[in-house]
Amino acid sequence: MKQAIALTVNGDVYEVLISPNQTLLEVLRDKLGLTGTKKGCDLGACGACSVLLDGEAYLSCLMLAVDAVGKEIVTIEGLSEGGDLHPIQKSFVELGGLQCGFCTPGIVMTAKAILDEEPQPTEESVKKKMAGNLCRCTGYKKVIESVMSASGRMGGKQ
Amino acid sequence: MRLPKFDYRQPESIQEACAILLDQPDAKVLAGGTDLLVNMKHRVETPSMIVSLKGLRDLDYVRKANGMVRIGALTRLKKVYNDPFVAKKLPALAAAASSVGSYHHQTMGTLGGNLCQQTRCKYFNQSKWWRSARPLCFKAGGDPCHVAKKDQVCYSTYCGDVAPALLVLNAEVVLSGREGSKQVPLESIFSGVGKTPLNLEPGQILTEIVIPEQSADGFSTYKKIANRGSIDFPIVGAAVWTSASTGESRIALTAVDRKPVRTRQLEDFLKGLELNEETIQGVDGLVAKETQLMMSSIDSISYKRKLMGQLVKSALSEAMGGR
Amino acid sequence: MEKQFSVVGKRLPMVDAAAKVNGSAQFTDDLTFPGMLHGKLLRSPHPHAKILNIDVSKALRLPGVKGVVTGAEIPDRQYGIVPKARDEYALAKGKVRYIGDEVAAVCAIDPEIAEEAVDLIEVDYEVLPAVFNVQDSIKEGAPVIHEGVANNTSFAIRKEFGDVEKAFAESALVSEDSFYSQPVNHAPMEPHAAVAQYDPVRGQVVLWSSTQIPFFLRRNLSATLMIPESKVRVIKPKVGGGFGQKIDMFAKDFCAAWFAMKLGRPVKFVYERDEVFIVTRQRHPMHLTVKTGMAKDGRILAQQFLSYADGGAYNSTAPTMMALSCFFLMVPYHVPNLLYEGYHVYTNKPVGGAMRGHGIPQARFAVERQLDLMADRLNLDPADVRTKNSIKAGEPHPGGFVINTCGFAESVQLAAEAIGWKEKRGKLPFGRGVGMGGASFPSGVTNMSHISSGAVVQVGQDGGVNVLTGAADIGQGAETVIAQIVAEVLGVSLDDVRVTAADTGTTPLDPGTFGSGVTVRAGNAARIAAESVRKKLFECVADELEANPDDLVARDGVIFVTGSPEINITFPKALKAYQYKDLPMPLVGRASWMADTNEPTTLFTQPGNFSPNYSFMTQAAEVEVDTQTGKVKVLKMVTAHDCGRPINPMLVEGQLEGSIAGGMGQALYEDVITEKGQVMNPSFLDYGFPTTMEVPEMESIDIETDDPVGPFGAKEAGEGTQLSPAPAIVNAIYDAIGVNFNELPVTPEKILKALEEKKKQGV
Ligand SMILES: Cc1cc2nc3c(=O)[nH]c(=O)nc-3n(C[C@H](O)[C@H](O)[C@H](O)COP(=O)(O)OP(=O)(O)OC[C@H]3O[C@@H](n4cnc5c(N)ncnc54)[C@H](O)[C@@H]3O)c2cc1C
Ligand code: SF4
Ligand code: FES
Ligand code: FES
Repeated sequence: MKQAIALTVNGDVYEVLISPNQTLLEVLRDKLGLTGTKKGCDLGACGACSVLLDGEAYLSCLMLAVDAVGKEIVTIEGLSEGGDLHPIQKSFVELGGLQCGFCTPGIVMTAKAILDEEPQPTEESVKKKMAGNLCRCTGYKKVIESVMSASGRMGGKQ
Repeated sequence: MRLPKFDYRQPESIQEACAILLDQPDAKVLAGGTDLLVNMKHRVETPSMIVSLKGLRDLDYVRKANGMVRIGALTRLKKVYNDPFVAKKLPALAAAASSVGSYHHQTMGTLGGNLCQQTRCKYFNQSKWWRSARPLCFKAGGDPCHVAKKDQVCYSTYCGDVAPALLVLNAEVVLSGREGSKQVPLESIFSGVGKTPLNLEPGQILTEIVIPEQSADGFSTYKKIANRGSIDFPIVGAAVWTSASTGESRIALTAVDRKPVRTRQLEDFLKGLELNEETIQGVDGLVAKETQLMMSSIDSISYKRKLMGQLVKSALSEAMGGR
Repeated sequence: MEKQFSVVGKRLPMVDAAAKVNGSAQFTDDLTFPGMLHGKLLRSPHPHAKILNIDVSKALRLPGVKGVVTGAEIPDRQYGIVPKARDEYALAKGKVRYIGDEVAAVCAIDPEIAEEAVDLIEVDYEVLPAVFNVQDSIKEGAPVIHEGVANNTSFAIRKEFGDVEKAFAESALVSEDSFYSQPVNHAPMEPHAAVAQYDPVRGQVVLWSSTQIPFFLRRNLSATLMIPESKVRVIKPKVGGGFGQKIDMFAKDFCAAWFAMKLGRPVKFVYERDEVFIVTRQRHPMHLTVKTGMAKDGRILAQQFLSYADGGAYNSTAPTMMALSCFFLMVPYHVPNLLYEGYHVYTNKPVGGAMRGHGIPQARFAVERQLDLMADRLNLDPADVRTKNSIKAGEPHPGGFVINTCGFAESVQLAAEAIGWKEKRGKLPFGRGVGMGGASFPSGVTNMSHISSGAVVQVGQDGGVNVLTGAADIGQGAETVIAQIVAEVLGVSLDDVRVTAADTGTTPLDPGTFGSGVTVRAGNAARIAAESVRKKLFECVADELEANPDDLVARDGVIFVTGSPEINITFPKALKAYQYKDLPMPLVGRASWMADTNEPTTLFTQPGNFSPNYSFMTQAAEVEVDTQTGKVKVLKMVTAHDCGRPINPMLVEGQLEGSIAGGMGQALYEDVITEKGQVMNPSFLDYGFPTTMEVPEMESIDIETDDPVGPFGAKEAGEGTQLSPAPAIVNAIYDAIGVNFNELPVTPEKILKALEEKKKQGV
């Protein structure tokens, strides 16, 4: 049975009609047209679908959309303000922390969660927390460098 | 992979949740969802109703009272291992919780959900079309077991990381039903039956994990071997707790059987012994002898056998320095 | 002579990096159209079976279902990447050959209904005996997988030069060893997808597809749908990695186009992750026996190869793969006498196809491993053996390759230095070791047709440059490299250049992304097109600058006279002048470029040059083996690399860092495990390719050569570096624990077993 819910995404409130078996990922992509969040496996094993839920890194493919009611959701589309890239995004662009870009939205959102939680992380800590975000192109070196540089760029604080 | 259809409820109290569950015998509770939703996408679990526990905010805590550490079942793993007392005094629990899946699973997954997770099997954790190449296996609703190559048995493996750590910390769990709640040893909720690995009664929910503060006195650790440094379930995991003052040890393994197992003969053997190079010499052999490694579709048994003894041994040798 | 460039050779961000990092870059699955339908495929549960009957009536009756199609209804046209080796139907006709083979397709108003409908299709199969390995498949009386293909051997090649027997007789050491490389899945992060829409005005079907080669896809679609190529338009949106897996046409492409044409509505197909693992392509498992004769000083005198590739159920790129596997045994070492025999064999398993390195990783693993084995027996340093055997630029090549530039010997030296070879090799404590591997790769594979790349460069009134190219950027940065080349030629900044790419309806012909040909081939086309624009501009402003057009230079937005930079005109002013002369705007230059090489098939029987140029590299690894658990930690990987002049060193580094992770996966982690033809680990979780936690410290050393053929001296980068990490790692494991592994992957379990054996034997 469909039900109407209100989701807060990137600061906007969306009223959508959904079925309980729809994941947050499906609703973001198919209902709200926020296709920046990617579906790499749909089984919680790649991180491509990472979004922020109340500031923490969640896999939107393993989250029921109904369960996201009342939470602040931020997707990759909500990260840059008014067209300007967020410092994390700038670091990825400048340091080549991406190639095909399919894993990138998920990686950037996880990076945001990591740096919010730990503004000056060690490289080890970034590696550990980023491990759930698979990337088949970069070999991760420039991904990690981008996160470390973003930390510096953001002055090590939020 | 889409989820099957189901009805959805989000009760506001434990009583309400239990009532719904009693009413709907094939309903399932959803905590973090990181285990259940994958199984549902694969159609190996198809409850007609999901009872989401996300509304039960008062089951999210780590607190100390009357010599007990109490952790709400819905506390997410990240919060568990970041808790200062857990991090400092219950290192086995912190190590186990922080070794689950990846950072995302630790952020989303709950302690209760981790304990209650399904057993695993390479013929079971697959999509519906994948499984259509073989007859439906026993656990999935048919007769044969593709691992055992006979009917009406299931050799699926319990691979949870946290259970062995809590077992050696002597944890108990609070089970709540409509009639009220009771506290039982953690070990008792694991049935050892592949098809139905949990001993929960209809309408029962695991609401709290209780660890005696005595377990904080002593050395404890959890060691895990997996394919990669993150994401993966353990090939074998071992938790060890030892106390120099009482001369006791507790040891538990995961990913070796349909349930997490204690190695009691080894514990008896170690009782009162001072841990040193000599006493732990043959420990790996004893672990291998005591633990009947179950036939499994997940990783080779001979490799597991080699690893489990080593893990226990290396945990004990760490304890020599630690306790 | 140091050449000065403004844009080429710079570490510049990809032109589409910002779009990729803010979520606006659109991949195929991100596209939606009004009224779009969703498709789903029914796949065979049997490894080998006759289809007796398909009943689709129940599926058709399900509300919301708009169409069902089976193999019986589609034209009797097979497809495949190599015309002679076409053996596949978009939907199986009469017979299925592996678990996952497509049997029928459904489309419906939403994906859920499509899935439900697939379950309602009833198929009667007659299960046939199946074969799951090469040995059984080539046996007399084995089940026939494709009618008319004797011994299930769909392709055989033999190449010979010199006299191997004579050379073996003269060798100080002759060693014959067997090697096995496992099946590896590309596992690009973006699952394969296609969206098709019918354009009734043009009578054309438009297909957006996650493809690496839009023009080949157009051709295969046109052939299988039996409509002219002009009625098919293929557009490549952003592609989330391919590594070769998105070269072939797939059922999703055909079926999306089919339904769009039949129903007049847009249709989307997206594969699930397990479908990507099972029903797309994988690197061929290969058995390879190598017999090598060496002189006492380590010189290779002769090599003889016998290889069997397990192709699975269909050919895909089989002939190309086998040819590459063979031909690239002639570089980077000088092999004066060679005999190669190779067979591509069908089995009832997932299909082999092009994967990063395309047939060569398997061969390189064997040769690089054996070099170490033999060096050991001759008491020589494996690094010296490699340098000693290195081919050299300008010297006659036994196979007829034309090697204009070659940094291989230098790469061995530099890699050795960087890893600390002299201090470490054979000298580290037990459990630790170093190893290396070398390789060479072509810059482009000439592929029977669609050989040349075209480019059109348009400059508008405001100075904005638009490059039309058919090159398919799948994440490697092809569009960026092309834009850099054009910007450099025109003397404008990278920001002024836009690339419009990979749309068979608007962009010039291009063979697509495979065989690492894009930078050299499409880059050269773009360079020449830009040069022709520049020439027109120079001719236009020469009078005003009172100079000969040939003496003009364009750089940093200014056109000036060589040697007299003060005599100049800015790029916008020059354009204005061009306009005022009433010359046609936009100012257009076009070009096409094709490698001056031999048709690969001729190389089977005679010498010849395969590629316009060749990249060279050595990779050196340091590893640590945990003797308790058998786990191998790669501590460091050095790549010394000659890719000519890198157009964008940051992108080149990115390529080789990615291939280190890939090579490491191949060496230690990855294996497509099958049980009776069924893939047992078709998920990211169970397949387990490396994460941030596994990858080693990486160092890259660039050996710049200025290649005369490549644009601005560039050569291939990114596939070659996929060849040597695996042997380097396995050679390092040998140095660490003294065990020789000749089969991939080297799992912890194998290591523990080997160590126990060693203990038992008391060595
Ligand atoms: C890619 C991937 C990797 C993973 N790796 C690991 C790993 O390494 N180690 C590991 O241990 N796990 C792993 N997991 C499994 C899972 O993420 C964790 O076990 C997690 O802790 C489960 O918690 P949850 O809250 O998400 O459980 P849920 O999915 O919500 O629930 C799991 C099961 O427990 C039941 N349940 C949940 N809460 C209760 C309760 N309070 N009372 C009664 N029943 C309850 C549910 O009905 C369900 O059957 C992995 C999962 C994925 C997708
Ligand atoms: S062990 Fe046997 S019955 Fe149990 S899930 Fe696996 S195949 Fe099914
Ligand atoms: S798509 Fe959610 S983890 Fe892969
Ligand atoms: S950039 Fe392609 S998967 Fe990460």
